[in-house]
Amino acid sequence: MATDVIQLENVWKIFGKNSELAMKAINEEGLDKATVLERFSCVVGIADVSFTVPRGEIFCIMGLSGSGKSTLIRHLNRLIEPTAGTIKVLDRDMSALSNDELRGMRAKHIGMVFQHMALLPHRTVLDNVAFPLEVQDVPKFKRWEISQHALSLVNLNGFEDRLPHQLSGGMQQRVGLARALASDPEVLLMDEPFSALDPLIRHELQNQFVSLTKTLQKTTVFITHDLDEAIRIGDRIAIMKDGRLIQIGTPEEIVMQPADDYVADFVKGISNLKLISAHSIMQEINSYTVPEGISLADAPRAKEDTNLEHLIDISITTPLPIIITNAQGVDIGIVSKDTLLTGIKGKGDE
Amino acid sequence: MNNTTIKANVSDDSSMQHAQAESVHRFTERQGEYYSAQFEKIQSSNRLTVTFNPKAALFGPCWAAARNIWGFFWLSTFALLFSLVQLGRGLWGELGADKLAQAARLSDKSQEMAVKAQSALEAGAANAAALLRNSENLQRAADNALAAANEAAQGAEQLVIWGSVFLILVILIQGFIANLVYEKKYCQWRINNSEKSGFSYPNLLLGLAMLTMILPLMLYRFTAAKPVEWLTAFPANKAIFNSTSSWLDKAFDAIALQGAGFFDGITYSIRILLDGLEVVLVDTPWPVTTLVILFMAWRLAGPRVAIFTIAALSYLAFLGYWEKSMATIALLGAAATLCVLVGVPLGIVCAKNRTVDSIARPVLDFMQTMPAFVYLIPIIAFFGTGKPPGILATIIFGMPPVVRLTALGIKQVPPSIVEGALAFGCSRRKLLLDVEIPLAMTNIMAGINQTILMCLSMVVIASLIGAEGLGTDVLMALQFAAKGQGLLAGLAILFCAMIIDRIVQGCVKPTGRPAG
Repeated sequence: MATDVIQLENVWKIFGKNSELAMKAINEEGLDKATVLERFSCVVGIADVSFTVPRGEIFCIMGLSGSGKSTLIRHLNRLIEPTAGTIKVLDRDMSALSNDELRGMRAKHIGMVFQHMALLPHRTVLDNVAFPLEVQDVPKFKRWEISQHALSLVNLNGFEDRLPHQLSGGMQQRVGLARALASDPEVLLMDEPFSALDPLIRHELQNQFVSLTKTLQKTTVFITHDLDEAIRIGDRIAIMKDGRLIQIGTPEEIVMQPADDYVADFVKGISNLKLISAHSIMQEINSYTVPEGISLADAPRAKEDTNLEHLIDISITTPLPIIITNAQGVDIGIVSKDTLLTGIKGKGDE
Repeated sequence: MNNTTIKANVSDDSSMQHAQAESVHRFTERQGEYYSAQFEKIQSSNRLTVTFNPKAALFGPCWAAARNIWGFFWLSTFALLFSLVQLGRGLWGELGADKLAQAARLSDKSQEMAVKAQSALEAGAANAAALLRNSENLQRAADNALAAANEAAQGAEQLVIWGSVFLILVILIQGFIANLVYEKKYCQWRINNSEKSGFSYPNLLLGLAMLTMILPLMLYRFTAAKPVEWLTAFPANKAIFNSTSSWLDKAFDAIALQGAGFFDGITYSIRILLDGLEVVLVDTPWPVTTLVILFMAWRLAGPRVAIFTIAALSYLAFLGYWEKSMATIALLGAAATLCVLVGVPLGIVCAKNRTVDSIARPVLDFMQTMPAFVYLIPIIAFFGTGKPPGILATIIFGMPPVVRLTALGIKQVPPSIVEGALAFGCSRRKLLLDVEIPLAMTNIMAGINQTILMCLSMVVIASLIGAEGLGTDVLMALQFAAKGQGLLAGLAILFCAMIIDRIVQGCVKPTGRPAG
């Protein structure tokens, strides 16, 4: 049952006093951002954004600062109201919720992690994690129990009774993550959660986060300004610029077929070793002529979805080419060292 | 490779210079050439640059007005005025005129005396010698006055010299700093283009109009021996003052009469609170009170404060101030309690609501700056004398800090933390109680502390309208100029304040953890 947990349709956000007028003018005359700013002194934050996120997917929104990505994620739990368009989370129209329903939705179904943690400085780690449960009037004993479990998910046992400022930045962000997980929401919103951390800790937390969400099966919208992070974490990536989504696709699609120069510029420096699979570089097994003095009998085998990095690892251990098999285990292709080198170089040169 | 980069740099440089010159042209509107050259000179050196602007030197105020630099305009106008007034007084002022007239008068009288003495001498009267002496004295006084007049007239020359030296100095300084000032203005204009500073005729006319208004009047005022009266004193109308104040009197009377029930209600409720506190503090046997205060000081603020408290309390007790101190603290406690009860919620509303804030701000300013004696009068009219009115006066003075600091604390709660709480479905009430108030607690407690101290500083003034306590002692000492008594009572007030302050500050620490 692959339902779409998050659905956005033609969402617009225009900041300013005359946002309604500006929206009308945009609909009728198709004005661009600069004209709107000039005529209505309104800033277009989000322009005509539509996407859906199926259950269990990690959806990364990548963009530079000022591209509107933080504004966009705040629409998903209505911290910011859209000017136009519909936003559905778990099949409920967010704009139509009453205040009480909205609070219930935020407390039970949507967890959020912030770039600057936003922990309550006067409360212990445990009470911070228990905050969403406290909002739902869960009794103290019960909510401490649940929070304890959430803290163990992020490996923070033993820090329950500390205050946030006694913890390092990485640990604070794990508290933030535990808080977002505490009420076991179906949706996680991550607003540049690892941007403020140093590279080593960031890497560690990214890995921890990916394995955690995979086991917990959370639907996640993840904001980042770092394409490396987006590729490492995201099942799909949306590239955002000036309030618009300019491309949505899997990491491989984004890297291999950038929609325009802007995206191409971004992906230039990205290593494709993890993104390209054996299938796309292999030679057909029938067209391969075995060189003299070599027998394929001892050649190693690899699945067709093995990535280049892995193929390199295999290739180092043997002078022989690698036989590629499909899902059923049937040999379908060959990757020789030459093909492998061409494959590694290949896309980077284009 | 190197060549191209150098070339690129050079072309960049010249294009930058060009852009700069062009922007200076746009800024000045007139004489762009001159100013862009001058500005470049100023900007090329890190030291103070010597540039001279002849126009600004000669027409200082007019130049400044035309270029929209009003600070320069006023300074230059006043400097000019000062030197011109000195010159004017030296040239046309009748200096020593009054002394001259005095001399003439005295010498006339002396002549008269001399004539009288002469006739007395001829008649052989006994007082002839005295009259003669009188006449001589008068003549001497007249000579002195004449000398003073001459001296003053000679002073005129000095005035002329100093006036001209000053005038030349003013002109030189104007010339030397004009371009520097104008360049600063240019830098500001680059940030904010709306700050126009180009040459403008309307501004020039405005400046000229002000000069023609100011200069002649000032010169006339200082050079004429007897200026017209309406120039030296504003022709005020006594009738307006009288009618306004009597109208206000009537208004106060009417309010006092109409709102008697309301005012009595307030007095009554304050009295209940005060009575409760007085029972606790004054009527409780002194060992019990001492023990409780000491225990609080020790637990809340530590052993050092406890030792200080023992010393302070024994000062109060041994000098016989015990009862009065407790009465004072009860008075103060009632005032402070009411301040906090009203002030903290008011501060929260101020932080949340712009309209309330903009209304409350001037009212708070009024409460804090208005001299206490001014509002003592209507308080007596409405509430009579005694302790409750004294508490009311204290509240008026003591409430502003707790309101202000509470509002400040709530406003300073980081928006990211508020957003974080809201994102987890926090309601407004919970946000206020569990997030905003705890985070603002340090500020709120500082406000409460300030309020308590300010209330205490009002005890002397409150005792003026019958709020008895330590303040009464100070007041008595003031009336009888009893220095020792005044100092002792003053110290007693100080010790009360310090005990309360230390204990309250001790309460603040455990909640006031650093954020983040």
